[in-house]
Amino acid sequence: MMSITLMLNGEETVQSVEPRAILADLLREGCGLTGTHLGCEHGACGACTVALDGMAVRACVVLAVMCDGRTVETIEGTRGDPVMDVIRRHFHEHHALQCGFCTPGMLMMARDIIARHPCPDEALIRAQLSGQVCRCTGYMGIVAAIRAAAAELHPEAAARPTLTRNA
Amino acid sequence: MSAEADTESWIGARLLRKEDGRHLLGASTFVADIRMPRLLDVAFVRSQMAHAGLIDIIKPEGAQDRVFTFADLAPLKVLEAGPELAAFRQSPYPALAQGKLRFVGQPVAMCVAASRGAAEDLADQVLVEAEELDAVVDAVAALRPGAPLLFDTWPDNAFIHADVNEGDIASLAQAPVQIRRQFKMNRQATVSLEGRGVLAYWDHRLDELVVYLSTQGPHVMRLGLAEALGLPEHKLRVVAPDVGGGFGGKNRLMPEEIAVAALALKLRRPVRWIEDRREHLIASVHAREHHYDITLFADRDGILLGLKGEVHIDSGAYALWPTGSFMEASMAARNLPGPYRMRHLAVTTHTVATNKAPMGPYRGVARPGACFAIERAVDELAHEMGMEPLELRRRNLVSASDMPYRTAGGLRLDTGDYPRALSEVADMVDVPALRRRQATGEDDGRRIGVGFAVYTEQSGHGAAEWTKRRSRVVPGYESATVRMLPDGTVHLLVGIQNHGQGLETTLAQIAAHELTLDPADISVRHGDTSVSPFGFGTFASRSIVFSGGAVAKTCRLVLEKARHIGAHLLQTDYAQTHVADGVVHGPSGKVSLAEIARAATIRQELLPQGMTPSLEATASYEPEESGGFFSYGAHAVVVAVEPQTGVVSILDYAIAEDCGTMINPLIVDGQIIGGVAQGIGTALYEEIPYGETGQPLATTFGDYMVPCAPEIPPLRIRHLVTPALGTEYGVKGMGEGGAIAPPAAIANAIADAFRDVGAKFCETPLTPRRVSDAVALACGELP
Repeated sequence: MMSITLMLNGEETVQSVEPRAILADLLREGCGLTGTHLGCEHGACGACTVALDGMAVRACVVLAVMCDGRTVETIEGTRGDPVMDVIRRHFHEHHALQCGFCTPGMLMMARDIIARHPCPDEALIRAQLSGQVCRCTGYMGIVAAIRAAAAELHPEAAARPTLTRNA
Repeated sequence: MSAEADTESWIGARLLRKEDGRHLLGASTFVADIRMPRLLDVAFVRSQMAHAGLIDIIKPEGAQDRVFTFADLAPLKVLEAGPELAAFRQSPYPALAQGKLRFVGQPVAMCVAASRGAAEDLADQVLVEAEELDAVVDAVAALRPGAPLLFDTWPDNAFIHADVNEGDIASLAQAPVQIRRQFKMNRQATVSLEGRGVLAYWDHRLDELVVYLSTQGPHVMRLGLAEALGLPEHKLRVVAPDVGGGFGGKNRLMPEEIAVAALALKLRRPVRWIEDRREHLIASVHAREHHYDITLFADRDGILLGLKGEVHIDSGAYALWPTGSFMEASMAARNLPGPYRMRHLAVTTHTVATNKAPMGPYRGVARPGACFAIERAVDELAHEMGMEPLELRRRNLVSASDMPYRTAGGLRLDTGDYPRALSEVADMVDVPALRRRQATGEDDGRRIGVGFAVYTEQSGHGAAEWTKRRSRVVPGYESATVRMLPDGTVHLLVGIQNHGQGLETTLAQIAAHELTLDPADISVRHGDTSVSPFGFGTFASRSIVFSGGAVAKTCRLVLEKARHIGAHLLQTDYAQTHVADGVVHGPSGKVSLAEIARAATIRQELLPQGMTPSLEATASYEPEESGGFFSYGAHAVVVAVEPQTGVVSILDYAIAEDCGTMINPLIVDGQIIGGVAQGIGTALYEEIPYGETGQPLATTFGDYMVPCAPEIPPLRIRHLVTPALGTEYGVKGMGEGGAIAPPAAIANAIADAFRDVGAKFCETPLTPRRVSDAVALACGELP
C-alpha cells in the first residue's frame, strides 16, 4: 500500500492505496464518491470522466498513485459551480439524459469542451464527444445542451462570426 | 421536431423530467453505488471453452471457504425456462456450471473477497478441468446431420421447430414475379451503459433476503428467485434502484444473480457482483442473430401476393428464465408481411441452440430482423421490376380505410395512416432532388443513396396475446396504488420499472391530469416489491398503456371518493360538485383536496356517516382489446458511401411516426432518437462475431463498436397523431419503434447508391468491409 495526498473537491485528503488501484476505484470505494460511474473500465466510454489538475481524464485508466500531490475534481465537487449549474440546466431543458448513467461523465466533458471552445459548433461538439458513450439519448439533446450552455456562458463568443467547420 | 401539444392539460405537455435532478448532481443510486458494512465482492470463474465436458473444479489451497461451485450453493433449483409448450425442449441452465460447459463466459465458480480486484486474483487461481468438444457456432449448420449436440437428450440442436401459415402459399406457384433472397442480422449485445449488478443481504430486522438488482422487472424476478432459492416470497424483497439502461437485456433472470443471492443466504453477509464490460459482452443477454431465406411473390403490377421462407434464430446455449427466446421466431415470422397487404404466408422457423451466450430480448425484439428482411426484399423486388421502391410500397401498404386490418401474420393493425407516413418522409428528404443529385454524381467519388423502411410496433398487448405465445408469465395488466397524503400530496406506487423512459414524469402527468393537481405534488415510486402492488415491469413498449391506464383508473377512484367527501363538507349533493385545480366546487362554496385528504386521514368525524377513512385506492388495468395497439412509422435515410473503403456516412435521416396521443412529446422524441441511434448501431457498427471454436471476438469497446456522437446524425421527426381506440387518452407504446427500421432503411439506401451495379447488401452490420466487398463483388473485382 502507498500513501498519497490529493486535493479532492477542494479538500486535502490522504489515502492509502494499492499501487495497482485506479483512480475511479479510489474515488468510489475509498472516498465514497459514487457519482463517478464505471461503464467500461478500459478508457472507452467516458462515464468516469473527472478533472485532474483541471484537465478531463478517464478515472478508469489513471492510476490512483499518479494523483499524488495533484488536484482531482469529481461531479460531486461541481455542486454549486456556476458554470456547471448552467450546463446542468441546459441538459435538463434539452432532455440530454435518460437513464442518467453517462450523465456525470458527460457533464464533466461538456464543461471541459466549453472551457476549451467558447463557441463550439455542432460538428466540433460531436467530434469532442467521440469518446463519450450514451446509450439512451442518441446524443441530439446532449449536443444541443452543450451548444446552448456555451452560448449562455460566452455570449461574446457566440456573437462573433465563426468559420464553418467541416464534419 | 414538431409536436401538437395541448398545453392546456398535463396530457401532451412537454414537461421537463422529474428524474433529472439526481442524475445531474451525480447523486443517483445504481446498484454499484450502494455501500454496506462487511460487503464482499464476487468475481466469477467463467468457461474459457465454448463446448466441453466439465471434469473438475480445483480450488486454490487455503481458499476453500472463498470459492464456491454449484454444489456449494445447494439446495438450488434449476428453473424451467422457455414457453410452456411440450415441443419446446428443456435446456437446464444452472447458476454455476454442472456437467457441461456450453459457451465461453458461462459462470463456473464464484470467488469472494473484500474487493473486486482481490476476488479476481482468487478467480485466476481456480483450475477448471474440462474436456473440449466440437463447438456449434452456426445456427443453420447446427441442424445438419452429424452436428455435435449441445444437449445429449435432444434429437437435434433445435429448441423448437415451428411453422406459421396463413392462406395457401401453394396457390402462388405460378405467380409471375418471384424473388428469393437470404438475409442475416448478426449477433449483438444489448449494451446498457450500466452493466448488470446485484447486491444481496439478509435483513435480520425484517427477516428477509433483500436483493438489489439492476432489473426491468423486480416483481417478476422475485418469482424466479424465490423458486430457485426455495424461499417463500414474503421472505424475499427485490429492489431495482436507479437502473442504467436495460433495453430488454435486464428482463431475464440470469445465473449470476441467482448465485449471488444464494451466496448471501449461505454466508449471511452482504455480497455483490458488478458486471464489467467484458462480462457484459460475452455473458449478458445477446440478441438479434437471425437468418432469413425468403421468397416474395408479386403480380406484374408489383402487388405483393405472399411470402414463404425459413427463419433460423441463433438462440445461444440456454433458454433464459422466464420465456427464453422462443418469441423471436414467432414474432419474426408473424412480422414478415410487414405493413403490407398480402394474404399468403408460409414460414418455417427454427430456434437453434449454439455454443454462444443465450439470447434474450433487445429493443424491438425480432422486428428489426423481420423489418430488415421484408423491407430489403421489397426494395430488391422493386429493383427487379424497374420500379421506384417508394411506388411499390405505396401500392401495397395497408391504408387507413383498411383498418382494423388483420395481417397474414395474424397481427391486428388497429389505427393509422401508413401511406401518409411514407409520403411525409419522402417529402422531407426530397426524393426528386436526390434523384437529380444522383444523376449528376458527387465530386468526391462517393455514391449517394436514399432508402426507406416502414415498420409497425405492437404495444400494450395483453393476456390473450401472451397466452397465445404460451408465456410462462402473462403480463396482461398493471396495477397502481394512489395514496393521497393528509396534505393533499400524492404517492403513486406502480409495478413498472423506470430506467430512462421518464415514467416518473409521464405517470405523474397522468395523475396530475386526473386529480387536477400539479405533477410536482405527485411522487412516483416503483422498482421495489415491498412498495407497490404486483407489476410486470417495463418492457415490450407496455408501460404507458398498462401502467398509465392503471394510474388513470386508480386516480379516478380516489377522486370520486374525494368528491363525495367534498360534497358532504359543502353540504351539497355529489352531482352538484365538480373538481378543478385541486378543489371540489359546489354551488355555494369550495373545499380543497388537501382539506378533504386531511379529513379523510386524520379527522374522521368530518366524513359522511359510514364512510371508511383514508384516500387510497389500488386497481389493476388492462385494455379490453388484448391484441395490442400498433405504433408505426416511416424512416427515410440519405447516405453517402465511399465505394473503395465502404465507409457509410448518413447525410439525412427523416422520421414520420405515429404513437397515438403523446403524454409528453419531449420524452417521445427522446425515445425515438435513442431508438434510432441503437438501430444505426445494428445497421452499421455493432456485432459479436464468434470464431470457429466458439470464441467471442468482440470483448471490449475496442472491438464492439458502439456509435458515439459523430456517428449519429441529427434526426428530423414529424408526428402523425391518430389516437388509439381502446386505451386511456388514445396512447400507444413506442419505446422500441425507433430501433426497428434503421437497419432496413440504411441498407436500402446503400443498395440504392449502388443500384446500377446491382450490389447486394444482405447482412448487418454493414461494416466498411462488407460494403466494399459487396461493391467489389458486383463489379467483378472479387471472385
